[in-house]
Amino acid sequence: MAPSFEQLDPDLDLEDEEIDFSDLREQYEVRMEEGLDAFVVVDGLPKVTPEQKDKLVKFLLRKLTTAGKTTQDNVYMPMNEEGNMSEGFAFVEYETPAQAAAAIKALHGTALDKKHTIAVNKLTDIERYGREGRIEEDYTAPEIPEFHEKEHLRWWLGDPEGRDQFAIYRADNVGVFWNEREDQPEPIVDRLNWTESFVQWSPKGTYLTSVHAQGTQLWGGPTWSRQKRFMHPGVNLVDFSPDERYLTTWSHQPMQVDENHATLTIEEDGKNYIIWDIATGKPLRSFVTLDPPGPRTDTEGNPIKKKLQWPAFKWSADSKYVARMNHGQSVSVYELPRMNLMDKQSVKIEGIVDFEWSPTNPQRDNVRDYEQLFCYWTPEMGSNPAKVGLMSIPSKEVVRTRNLFNVSDAKLHWQSDSAFVCVKVDRHSKSKKSLATNLEIFRVREKGVPVEVVDNIKDTVINFAWEPKGDRFVLITAGEVAVGSAVPPKTAVSFYCPEKAKGTAVGNFKLIRTVEKKNNNAIHWSPSGRFVLVATVLNQASFDLDFWDFDFEGEKEEKEKDLTANLQLMSTQEHYGVTDIEWDPSGRFVATSASVWKHRADNGYKLYTFSGQQLREESLENFKQWAWRPRPERLLSKEEMKNVRKNLREYSRAFEEADSAKRSSADKAVVEGRRRQLEEWLAWREQVVEELVEERRE
Amino acid sequence: QEHQDLLARREVIQKKKESAATAQAARLREEEQRKKVRQQELLAAESERLAQEAKDRDERRVQAERKRVQREETEKQLNELKKGVKGVDVSNIDIDDLDTNRIRMLKLQALEREKNELNDKLRVTGKRIDHLERAYRREEIKHLAEDYAA
Amino acid sequence: MRPILLSGHERALTQVKFSKEGDFIFSVSKDHNVCAWYSANGERFGMYKGHQGALWSVDVDPTTTFLATGGADNTMRLWEVKTGKQLKQWEFPTSIRRVEFSEDGKLLLGVTEKRTGQLSNIYVYDIAQDVNAEQSDEPTLRIVVDELPRVTVAGFSYLNRYIITGHENGCVAQWDAKTGEMIADEYPHEDGASVTDLQWSADRTYFITSSKDKTAKLQDARTLKVLHTYVADTPLNSAAITPEPTNYVILGGGQAAMDVTTTSARQGKFEARFYHKIFEEEVGRVRGHFGPLNYVAVSPDGKCYCSGGEDGYVRVHHFDPPYFDFK
Repeated sequence: MAPSFEQLDPDLDLEDEEIDFSDLREQYEVRMEEGLDAFVVVDGLPKVTPEQKDKLVKFLLRKLTTAGKTTQDNVYMPMNEEGNMSEGFAFVEYETPAQAAAAIKALHGTALDKKHTIAVNKLTDIERYGREGRIEEDYTAPEIPEFHEKEHLRWWLGDPEGRDQFAIYRADNVGVFWNEREDQPEPIVDRLNWTESFVQWSPKGTYLTSVHAQGTQLWGGPTWSRQKRFMHPGVNLVDFSPDERYLTTWSHQPMQVDENHATLTIEEDGKNYIIWDIATGKPLRSFVTLDPPGPRTDTEGNPIKKKLQWPAFKWSADSKYVARMNHGQSVSVYELPRMNLMDKQSVKIEGIVDFEWSPTNPQRDNVRDYEQLFCYWTPEMGSNPAKVGLMSIPSKEVVRTRNLFNVSDAKLHWQSDSAFVCVKVDRHSKSKKSLATNLEIFRVREKGVPVEVVDNIKDTVINFAWEPKGDRFVLITAGEVAVGSAVPPKTAVSFYCPEKAKGTAVGNFKLIRTVEKKNNNAIHWSPSGRFVLVATVLNQASFDLDFWDFDFEGEKEEKEKDLTANLQLMSTQEHYGVTDIEWDPSGRFVATSASVWKHRADNGYKLYTFSGQQLREESLENFKQWAWRPRPERLLSKEEMKNVRKNLREYSRAFEEADSAKRSSADKAVVEGRRRQLEEWLAWREQVVEELVEERRE
Repeated sequence: QEHQDLLARREVIQKKKESAATAQAARLREEEQRKKVRQQELLAAESERLAQEAKDRDERRVQAERKRVQREETEKQLNELKKGVKGVDVSNIDIDDLDTNRIRMLKLQALEREKNELNDKLRVTGKRIDHLERAYRREEIKHLAEDYAA
Repeated sequence: MRPILLSGHERALTQVKFSKEGDFIFSVSKDHNVCAWYSANGERFGMYKGHQGALWSVDVDPTTTFLATGGADNTMRLWEVKTGKQLKQWEFPTSIRRVEFSEDGKLLLGVTEKRTGQLSNIYVYDIAQDVNAEQSDEPTLRIVVDELPRVTVAGFSYLNRYIITGHENGCVAQWDAKTGEMIADEYPHEDGASVTDLQWSADRTYFITSSKDKTAKLQDARTLKVLHTYVADTPLNSAAITPEPTNYVILGGGQAAMDVTTTSARQGKFEARFYHKIFEEEVGRVRGHFGPLNYVAVSPDGKCYCSGGEDGYVRVHHFDPPYFDFK
C-alpha cells in the first residue's frame, strides 16, 4: 500500500486542497523577518486522532526533510479544543530561514499522498496576513487556472513504490490506475464521459488527451485538471511532437470557422490539420488533407476508399522540423516554432512514395554539424531504377542512395537509436509473379553508410520489427494465400542478430532460427529490448502469445556460439480474441486486451510478466482501450545509474522486504476482513434464528 | 483209381501251390503296400520337420529383426533425447535395458527438469529487472524537485 | 465424482427441484413434460402427463405428496407424486410463470404472466392435505400487481408471513401474505435487469435472487436488506443457497445462444459457479452443459446439487467429501 492516510477517516474534509494561497505566495519572497523566518506552516494535512499523530508527523517528516533539516521535536501539530482531533495543520521549525524558504519553494502545493496536497507557507506571512484580517473566515473557492501552474505535471514519477500507471477506457468511463501486478489495480481517478472517442497519452506521459466532437483536451497533474483545450470541430486523430510542445489535430472534414470563433480564425477555414503550440494553446498553422495518389474512383465510378497516411505530418526527433510528403513529388519541411516552410520551398524528390525521420538525433561517422536525417524511397520510373535515399536536413544533401530493381513495394524501418535503417524491399520476378523480400540494412553510423543485404527471403514478409535500443530483429513471413480459402496462410517467424565482432563493431546479420507453421502476425518488443512477444491478434481461430528471450541466461548451443543472442521461448499463452498488445514503459509487464471496438466476445484484459506469466485477468463490459502511461527519459546521470547497478544487491534486499511486508499486511487485511464478515453474519443469524424460534412458539 | 487219386492229389497240390503262390503274392503286395505307406509317412514327417525348421528359422530371424529395429528405435530416441533435451545424462544407461516407455519417462523427467530450470532462471531474471527498474526510479525521485523547478 | 446425466427431456429445462429428503428430482421443460427421477442413480421414477404447452415451473410439497406445475397452457396443476394422478387443474387467462408451496405445504401460489390487457397476478390456494380431498377452485388470496412491472418469480417467506416477488425491472417486493398488501419494494438489481430466480434458505428467513445484471444478491426476508452480493461475468438465470452448515451459493447462467458471437462453449460461460456465501468470493466452477444453465437446485440435505440446462439435460452432482471440509 502506498503511504496514505485515507484509511484514517474516509469522511475527511478535503476542501483544504482547493484553498487558494496564491496571494500569499506572491509575497513570500519579498519578506524576511526576525527569528520566525525559520518557521513554516504546513496546511492541508489530514485530521488525525492523538494516537495517529505520531505516525502522521513521521510521515510528514520524510517529506519535510527532503528540503531541509528538521526533527520530530520541531514539528508542532496542534489539536482541537476537545483534544481528540488534530487541526489539519502543523508548525515546523527548520534549522535556518534559508531551509525554510527552500521547503516552501519545493513543497508548497505538492501531494502528501493521493488525497492531500499540502500548502507550505512562512509563519511570518500567515501571522501578518492573519493579523491584518486578510484571510477571510469563509474560504473562497480557488480559481482553477491559477492552480494549473502550481501542479507538478510529473508528480506520478514520484510514486515511492515506482509503480506505473495505465488508463482504461471501458463503457463511458475512463479510469487511471496504479499497476499492482497480480492485485487489483489501485484506482487514481475515474470519470464518466471523460472522452468521446478514445484517450491518448502524450509521448512522455505528461498529458492524457481526450477527444471530443468539439476538439481535444489535455489533462494532467495530481488533480487531473484540464491543462489545455484545443477547439477543432470534428477532430478524428491527434499526434504530439516528441517533445510534447506541439500537437497535430486532424479531422476528415474541412473546418468551417466563423468570424466570432474564440481561437480559430478564418485562416483555419476549410482546413483539416491544425498544428498547435501546446504552451499557448494557439494554432501555429493549418493545412488541408492532400489527396492520396491513385484514381479517386474505380472503373465503375464508385469512390475508392483510400488508406489514410497517419501521421501525415512527421516530426524530426528533436521536434525542430515537421514534414509532410506530397506523394510522388516532394517533401515539405516546416521549421518550428514558426512553422515556416524551410527555404520557402518543398524538397523535390520525384516519385517519392514514403519517408521516415530518424527517431533520434543521428550520429553519422565524422559528421559534426547539426543535422536531422530522413530516409525515403522512389519506385522504378522508366529506365531508372528504384532508389532508397538518406537526406540530411537542413542541408538537403542526399548523403546516401542505393539503386534497387524489380521493386514492387518497400517499407522503411528505423532502429530506435537511428543506428540502422532497414528497407524491406518486396521484389517480383521478371514475370511479376513470384514475390521475394530483401532486407537492405543501412548502417547509418558507419563510415560511408554501408548497406548490408541480409537475405533473399522467400514468401512475403508481413511484419518486421527492430529490437528497441538493440541491433536484433524479428520478421514474419506468410505463404501464398490458397485461392478461395478463408483461412489466413500459415506464417513463419524468423529471428536475426548480428554475428559477434571485434570491439564495438556490429557484425553481419545472421538468421538465428525460423519457426514454421505458426499463425503469428504481430511482433511486440519490450521497450527495453531483449524480450519480444510474437502474437496472433485479430484472428478468429487462433490467439497465441509466444514470449521470447534473446539473451536467455542459460546454456547456449554450440552452433550459435558466434551469435550475439541466446534465443529461448519462455512461454506460450493464449488470450481468446486478443486485439491489442501493449508493454509497460519499463518492459516488465505486458497487457493484452480484447476491445469492443473490434468484437464483442470476452472484452477485457490480461496482464502478463515479460516472460508470459499471467498476473491478472479481468473481463470488463464494453472494454475499449488500455493505455500505459509513458515515462520521460530517466532523470539519472550515467554515473548514478552505474551506482544503482553496483549497489543493486542492497536495493534488492530493501524491495524484498517491502514486498513481503506489503503482502503480509494485505493478507492480514484479508483475514481481518473475513473475520469481520463472518462475525457479522453469525451475529445476524443468531438473532434471526432466535426471533424465529420465538415467533414459531407463538 | 490210384491215378485218379494221384491226379486228384496233384490237383490238390497244384491248387495248394497256387493258393500258396497267390498268398505269397498277396503278402508281398501287402508288404510292398505297407512299405510304401511307411515310406510316404517318413517322407511327410521329413518334409514337416523341414518346414518346421524353416519356420523356426524364420521366426528367429523376424525376432532378431524386431529386436534390431527396436534397438535402433531406442538408440534413435536416446540420441534424440541427448540432442533435443538438455541435461540428460545417458552415459551410464545400458541401451539393452531400455524400452521406449522408459525413454519416454526419461524424456518427460528431463523436460520437467528443463522447465523448472527455465522457470528458475526467469524468476531470477525477472527479479533483477524489476529491482533494477525500481531502484532507478527510487533514485529518480530525488531529481523530481529540480525537474519541477526547471 | 462423476455427474449423473438425466436425459429424457427433448427441449430446454426450465426448473428442477429436489424433494425435501433429497431423494427425488422433479424437472419441467419446454417439451411439455414433467419428470421425476431418483437423485441417487438418475433413473426415471415417472412422468406426469397432461400439460399441453411448455412448462415454466414446478414445486413439490414438504411431504413429497403433492407436485405442482404450471406453464404456457394457462394451467396450474396438482399431481399425486406417488401415482402420477392429476388431482386438480386451475385455469387462467395467461400462462403460469411460477408455482411454489409454502414451507408447511398448506398454501400454493401461482404467478400469471402479464400480457396485453392482463396484469401479473399472484393467486394463493389452500391445499387440502389429503390426496382424495376435493381441492378448492377459488383462491384464498389474489394479488393484482398493477404498480410494479411483470412478476417473474415469487415465494412464501418463513411462517407464511410474506410473499416476496421479483420483477422484470430488477425490483424485489414484499407483500403481506394474509392481506395481499404491498409492504416494501427495493431495487437490489440494476434497473431494467430482470430478476430471474428467487430461492430460499432452509428456514426461509433469507433468500437469494439472481438477475440478468450478472449479479446475485442475498437478502433478508424481513427487511429486504441486501446482505451479500455475488458478481459473475455472465447474465444469471438461477441462484441457490446450500443448506447450513456449508456456506455456499451456486449460480447458473450463461449468454443466450443468440447473444454469443461464437458457438464455443467456453464463450457462453455455461458453468455452475460456487461462491462463498459470506466472503462473496468465487471458489469454483463446474462445467458440462452445452448451453446456458436455466436452473440450479441444491438438495435440502446438502449432499448434491443439480442443474437444468438449455441443452435439455439435467446434471446431478454428488459432492465429494472435501467439499464438506471447507467452511
